[in-house]
Amino acid sequence: MSDVISGERAAALDADGAASKATLVAALTAALPHDIVLTDEESLRPFECDGLSAYRALPMIAVLPATVAQVQTVMRICHAHDTPVVARGAGTGLSGGALPLEKGVLLSLAKFNRIVDIDTDNLRATVQPGVRNLAISEAVDHLGLYYAPDPSSQIACSIGGNVAENSGGVHCLKYGLTTHNIVRLEIVTVEGERLTIGSDALDTPGYDLLALMTGSEGLLGVIVEIVVKLLPKPELARVALIAFDDLRAAGNAVADIIKAGIIPAGLEMLDSPAIVATEAFVHAGYPTDATAILLCEVDGTTAEVDEDMARVQAVAEASGATEIRVSRDDAERALFWAGRKAAFPAMGRISPDYYCMDGTIPRAALSDVLIGIAELSEHYGQRVANVFHAGDGNLHPLILYDANQPGELERTEAFGGAICELCLKHGGTITGEHGVGVEKIDQMCVQFPTAELQQFHAVKAAFDEKTLLNPGKAVPTLHRCAEFGAMHVHNGALPFPELERL
Amino acid sequence: MSTTRQPSEDRTEAIAAQVEDAYQRAAPLRIVAGQSKSFLGEPVAEAATETLAVHAHSGVVSYDPGELIITARAGTPLRDIEAVLAENHQRLAFEPPHYGPTATLGGTIATGVSGPARPYAGAARDFVLGCRIVNGRGQVLRFGGEVMKNVAGYDLSRLMAGAHGTLGVLLEISLKVLPSPRAQLTQVFEHEAPEALAAFSAWAARPWPISGAYWEAGRTHLRLSGAQASVDAARDALGGEPLDEDQSFWSGLREHERDFFKRGDMPLWRISCAPASPMAKLSGTWSLDWGGAQRWLVSDAPAETVREAAATHGGHATLYRGHDKPRQHPLSAAHVAVHRRLKAAMDPAGILNPGRIGV
Amino acid sequence: MQTAIIESLRETTDGQEAERILRACTHCGFCTATCPTYQLTGDERDSPRGRIYLIKQTLEGAEPTARTQFHLDRCLTCRACETTCPSGVEYARLADIGRGLVDSQVERPPRERAIRWGLRHIVAHRRRFAFLVALGRAMSPLLVGRLAPLRDKIPPRRTSTGQDSHSTTAHPRRMLMLQGCVQPSAAPNTNAAARRVFDRLGISLIEAETAGCCGALHQHLSHRETAREQARRNIDAWWPYIADGAEALVMTASGCGAQVAEYGHLLRDDPAYADKAARVTELTHDVSDILAKQDLSGLGDIGTGRRVAYHPPCTLQNAPGLHDHVAAILAQAGFKLTHVGDAHLCCGSAGSYSILQPEMAGELRRHKLDNLESGTPDVIATANIGCQLHLEAATGVPVRHWIELLA
Repeated sequence: MSDVISGERAAALDADGAASKATLVAALTAALPHDIVLTDEESLRPFECDGLSAYRALPMIAVLPATVAQVQTVMRICHAHDTPVVARGAGTGLSGGALPLEKGVLLSLAKFNRIVDIDTDNLRATVQPGVRNLAISEAVDHLGLYYAPDPSSQIACSIGGNVAENSGGVHCLKYGLTTHNIVRLEIVTVEGERLTIGSDALDTPGYDLLALMTGSEGLLGVIVEIVVKLLPKPELARVALIAFDDLRAAGNAVADIIKAGIIPAGLEMLDSPAIVATEAFVHAGYPTDATAILLCEVDGTTAEVDEDMARVQAVAEASGATEIRVSRDDAERALFWAGRKAAFPAMGRISPDYYCMDGTIPRAALSDVLIGIAELSEHYGQRVANVFHAGDGNLHPLILYDANQPGELERTEAFGGAICELCLKHGGTITGEHGVGVEKIDQMCVQFPTAELQQFHAVKAAFDEKTLLNPGKAVPTLHRCAEFGAMHVHNGALPFPELERL
Repeated sequence: MSTTRQPSEDRTEAIAAQVEDAYQRAAPLRIVAGQSKSFLGEPVAEAATETLAVHAHSGVVSYDPGELIITARAGTPLRDIEAVLAENHQRLAFEPPHYGPTATLGGTIATGVSGPARPYAGAARDFVLGCRIVNGRGQVLRFGGEVMKNVAGYDLSRLMAGAHGTLGVLLEISLKVLPSPRAQLTQVFEHEAPEALAAFSAWAARPWPISGAYWEAGRTHLRLSGAQASVDAARDALGGEPLDEDQSFWSGLREHERDFFKRGDMPLWRISCAPASPMAKLSGTWSLDWGGAQRWLVSDAPAETVREAAATHGGHATLYRGHDKPRQHPLSAAHVAVHRRLKAAMDPAGILNPGRIGV
Repeated sequence: MQTAIIESLRETTDGQEAERILRACTHCGFCTATCPTYQLTGDERDSPRGRIYLIKQTLEGAEPTARTQFHLDRCLTCRACETTCPSGVEYARLADIGRGLVDSQVERPPRERAIRWGLRHIVAHRRRFAFLVALGRAMSPLLVGRLAPLRDKIPPRRTSTGQDSHSTTAHPRRMLMLQGCVQPSAAPNTNAAARRVFDRLGISLIEAETAGCCGALHQHLSHRETAREQARRNIDAWWPYIADGAEALVMTASGCGAQVAEYGHLLRDDPAYADKAARVTELTHDVSDILAKQDLSGLGDIGTGRRVAYHPPCTLQNAPGLHDHVAAILAQAGFKLTHVGDAHLCCGSAGSYSILQPEMAGELRRHKLDNLESGTPDVIATANIGCQLHLEAATGVPVRHWIELLA
């Protein structure tokens, strides 16, 4: 797929008469320290993919700036030379959002890893984009504060990438997504100008550009500083590990907990293959014979947690749970979560490769969609493990495959596409938090009709007229949709009708 | 609260047709529904002589309490929405001001207003999950959806919140709703303004179940909401005197029915700033809402002086009552350019509420 | 990850092991979070994931240059990445293979070759190193100008604090102790202290005179065959004692411990040694691991509330086969442990690293000491001779092997 994209772009660039590599290298090295401009294949190869290694493309040049001025310089030079730029944070993204372009510059922001300021009066932290998500919470832990969004990759993922993807995490049902937890951004525009988005206040005059910028996948600007909100750590948090021997019962328990008026701090589900794989690594004490487990965390004051936990237990029992274990202390709570947090990469232990999907559906459709996925798994002859944010209806089916086997990746992609379409069929979306990137670009043609896609392109042009920022990602060209042959789903008309489940 | 609800009617086609026709003729439109919030934002340009009425486009489209999501048409009266939710012990957690009995859901989201709970629960935009709009070409478009998380495509639905209809006419809005708190109470403290700000900061840094913090005339009002046990524990720990008429106090504040907001002829300014910003040295009478992040000033100080003081602490000032123009805090040149390009991307002929956003 | 290892390597033991390790990697990037060098430079090539990629492309037939070698050299082999990796990628083994492959294709400049030769041929030999230390101390005043940084590397003279090995009682319970190559001259008190503590617990610590360097230095400098030879020599030296009922191999330097614990893997294809090596691996324990299993109540309140900042060596935190019980033991003995931030990050010593990469090692040490000193400790304790020497060269706080605090 990467070849298709870069090929498309390459053709466009050739037509535009874009700068040659030599010209660009000369311009960049004249303005920047030589050791931050990487041009040889040996050095560039490690940058050819992000957390989605199935898609790879060697960047023409990679630049590793350490100052905002250097970022501006890169943007000015690339803009003047009509050269596309792909920004990259920690490279942990799962949708190929930081996939380089063979005729483009890869702009790594990993050197921007400093926490600039912690403002305890206003409960905010000013951080550079390369700061790790978890590093923020660690830095304010002694103040009794934390940064709420906690994607599974929070140990390594960068906050800049979180903003670009509007990352969620296990606690976002109660505490919101990235978009709810930031107040101000400093960006560098495609022309190399600095622009402040949002403010130190809770709102700004004019349009809510902060909302627009969050989750824009690096297509509207390069984020160079972020002011995040800090929250007081809850007095107490406890997590219940609830096991089921029936998938449908587990799915129903999720809706029942919400209906009982409880907003859990986290409500996660793992199915059997996921339980087995993570247990092997983390030894969290997950029951490996369960069909599914729910991790349900409630937080607040001690009295509140006791009250809510009692309700959760009652609901779970009524829903047919086979086992309920409530964490006794923080160490056990951390252990219960450790398995969930490491669940994706732990698949590396049972399969050489995995492909992580990210559809979100209404909670009521959970059981139907899970059963639908199991049927697709049989149809495609590929194993799938499910690890997901059940409380948000955000699924993460992990399709297990072996990239060294010819044809397996292609079959996996088709399987993934079918899962996306199954989610859309149930009133959902193809991506809840990982972003479209390159991975789900074709499914965007299914989710959105032409007019919406055109509107997206018009908005993009308002920020980046020459389409130089991360082109080919997030929003497909109409031409691409026509090639893909996908139609926007109307009235549930989908491919694979025999696999649908109503 | 009225028990009769506005009848449900889908006027999508008529609204889209009127916009498309206006687009063909480049005839600017003034979007009108309940008119309760027309005093917010800049006045629509006088050239917009044609009215686009969306009030009749009304009704709850879907609501499943188990999903915590409600979808309703823009003309649906806000009080109808709140009544439907209340029947299921749920609510709009951003506590939107009505500013009159005719308030609609569309107007609420278009102006992006939020009540006293805003710093603790989130703003109107934070609860927007998706919407259907008519853009400036008369195309009916859907962004976002009826799910909790969705990052497919740019977040144009949240962008609609506070855009005053200038980027698109809201047709339908999907909002996240939350269970109503099981318990609520308010404690009152005697504070000078700087003391109140210090208390706001100290309280916010601890995990108390705070849902409102307001200071006016030497008294701080602290509202606690949540589970009974945690509200009681917070009250015991924080002290203060109980306030009996607590519901009417907060609705009076939300709706600007308190004397502070109605008294006198002097201009009323809203200053939005970082919550812990020190008190600005401006003449006039202050009140402090949103734990210090939204401050109200009744003052005859020159507009420039007020705006400068607000900007010192990364904030901005909006004129709520008074004659100065513009009412909104002026944007930087760079932002004016971005706003114009964005507006043109959504509404190329510039026909939707021209002038309303001030650029 | 997908791999395409070239024909000529695919059938070799190294090639197959590398392939197996690479296939486990999902490129998730978790490892970057705990990699000390990546945290400093923000360059993917200085991260485990980036280095895996550099090694991968070499295995796939790309000709490496000094660039790849440079970034592999900058790796501390602290193995924090392995502890972090949820997919079980055996990074250090892959790094060994990768370094060997790259070093066989990229010739180093003469000065680097000389330093590496010196490390392998002098430091790794007990008597030669002792001579060098004595020489260094004598010549120290002459180390000026470009040679000044070397003064850092000369361990301070320590007054011997105890009886030597022969004066303790012979107990029926016996364990072997590795004498090591650097420790006897640089920190003679460590083993003496261990001997006294074990003596009180009724265990004799014995040394096999013909055992020498564990082989870690050679292993990390891409001389894996020499490392294997040293392993065989040590096994030969220990075997009579093991056959005679020595209960365990006690490691007082975790760097050596990590290497000895790998003997089983190192010699798995050597029919003459595979079984013995596996047994040695089984018997190898860090001194804290042994003590944690003994009744220590007899030691009493030695600490009397003295404040200790504990620096756990990477080898204790990350090497499979070694377990760290130091903090618990010190607390039990009455010491007050101070809070140390970023305890998982390497101090920069990392075997020969501090000599080969002085700049990076110095920066890591600065960060480490900032964290260690933040709790105003009376003493800094660690469990590896390398960390001890590296840290004490740049701090006013005494740095000791923790066993000395118990003796």
